[in-house]
Amino acid sequence: MGNKNNLYKPENYYVRVIKYAILQIIAAILIILWLMPLYALFVGALKSNIAAASTPALLPPSKPSGEAYYFVWHGFGGIYGLIGLEYPLIREILIDVPIAALATLLGAMGAYFFYMIMDRHYIWSTIGFAIISLATYLPVETTTVPLIQIVTSLHLYNTYYGVIIAYLMFYIPMAALLMSIFMPSIPKYLLEAAKIDGASDWRVFWKVMMPLLVPGFLSTFIFTFLQIWDNFFIPILLISNPQEMLLSVAVRQYAGGYAIIYNRSFAAGVVGSIVPLVIFIFLGRYFIRGLAALGGGAKGV
Amino acid sequence: MKNQGYLMVIPTLFFAGLLLVTVIWNVWLSFLNSSILVHKPKFVGLATYQYLFSQYFFKISTTHTIVFTIGLVAIGNVLGLLFAGLLYFIPNNVQRSLYLSVFIYPLAIASSTSALIWEWLLNPTIGVDWLLKLLHLPAPYWLGTSNMTLVSMIMIEVWAYTGLATLFYLASFMNVDKTVVEAARLDKAGGLKILFRILIPNSMNGFIISTALLFLFSFRIFTIPFVLGGSATSPTLMTYVMYVYNLFISEYFSASAAMAVIVTIIAAAVILPFAIFGLMKWVFKR
Repeated sequence: MGNKNNLYKPENYYVRVIKYAILQIIAAILIILWLMPLYALFVGALKSNIAAASTPALLPPSKPSGEAYYFVWHGFGGIYGLIGLEYPLIREILIDVPIAALATLLGAMGAYFFYMIMDRHYIWSTIGFAIISLATYLPVETTTVPLIQIVTSLHLYNTYYGVIIAYLMFYIPMAALLMSIFMPSIPKYLLEAAKIDGASDWRVFWKVMMPLLVPGFLSTFIFTFLQIWDNFFIPILLISNPQEMLLSVAVRQYAGGYAIIYNRSFAAGVVGSIVPLVIFIFLGRYFIRGLAALGGGAKGV
Repeated sequence: MKNQGYLMVIPTLFFAGLLLVTVIWNVWLSFLNSSILVHKPKFVGLATYQYLFSQYFFKISTTHTIVFTIGLVAIGNVLGLLFAGLLYFIPNNVQRSLYLSVFIYPLAIASSTSALIWEWLLNPTIGVDWLLKLLHLPAPYWLGTSNMTLVSMIMIEVWAYTGLATLFYLASFMNVDKTVVEAARLDKAGGLKILFRILIPNSMNGFIISTALLFLFSFRIFTIPFVLGGSATSPTLMTYVMYVYNLFISEYFSASAAMAVIVTIIAAAVILPFAIFGLMKWVFKR
């Protein structure tokens, strides 16, 4: 270890400073590149129609204007046939929050069962795990024809119940998978001890499991919520009545076309993603933990 | 009653079972000739698949799906590795997690919003091309030709999903024994040498996870090409999952189901080994 002193020689110090500066500069450039679409979104949405028609999207507006937001919020259906985003946003929140909570809770119960039978019934829990993984990762579009046949035969086409059934079909298994990945952090002897003391599964789940698993539960809930929010295919497949549109489909009306310049598209985009963005800014670590759970909670790495 | 566990698993099994029913239903439907043109569908065996394989849209959607998937898996893995390497050497924890969040945020916002933003950013006069021209760089006509549309689509996918690869590679790097890295540093190994000789060779699982997830996310991408193309009818953006929907709206139900079966088989071929030999083994340490 005679060369340890070399680390603190002056030229070595400068080389390290320069290397560190290069590292920070590259990182900064990448961060700017990655944030550029978000910047364009917020800046562009604040432009007036005239400013949007005459300036490029990446320049900030000389005078901020709420014109575009006013337009997409109310929609002016009579003139342009566009549905405003006010009601789609409210509907989206009213459907997504309870469904995400329900899916997370029911999925957690399923995960609890698989976790408990793991040791005794290895084959069955493997099959269960395979099925919930398949449901998590399978493209939603594969269910197109059967789903619409199930939903129409139950007379639920163009109702939110059809959409909710479809969401539960995908997101209860997904929540069960994520919860299965968070659950092994709780030592099994705690659960076994409670069961030996005569507690029922229901009590063990609520009194032992859930209090210890609050962060995992919250991660699963937030991840599921954002997945449901992002879902575009189910609403476009199962709802054709413009008066019942959900947010992701309603936002798409503003993708371009008659009377749409980018300020209105971007304002629609802000309305479509403001809830996910706020959640990501304040509770981002829970979302990231949920994302990591998709890959085994990064436990295998 | 002590074994309420069986009751608690019923909702999960019911809805997961419903999904399996749709998969089997697809297989059954794909052997019929159900479409808007047929009054009473009958069993035709593999004729629907033959019909499908002869279609022009099937061929181009195969090409596009392969291009998008290979493009994202290759570029996403390489960039994810490099970004994770970059973040690994940032000593400040707060800065590191902030930067990681920036790479991940495209996954959190709604993909319909991403599509709206990119549609305008790739506009030849007011979008990024304006900036590129200002800097005297070549300004491609992004969504103008069919080849450039594929390039644009891969670019958007890379923007959207590289954070995923970065997350898992960074987790692998963080898992590499710190003393090994410190020892290399004392032997005056540079950052790049540590990255390529120590961190990357020890990140096999990170590679498996990010490859599987990048593949699956790319394979299922629907909203962005749908919004960019105006609907699921655009030949330049047609992929397998788009084609399932396209066949459904043109009311070729059996062909749509057959296409869904093909998608299911390909996806399951990745999902099942990944879940059983990867996830389960790592999580439950079996």
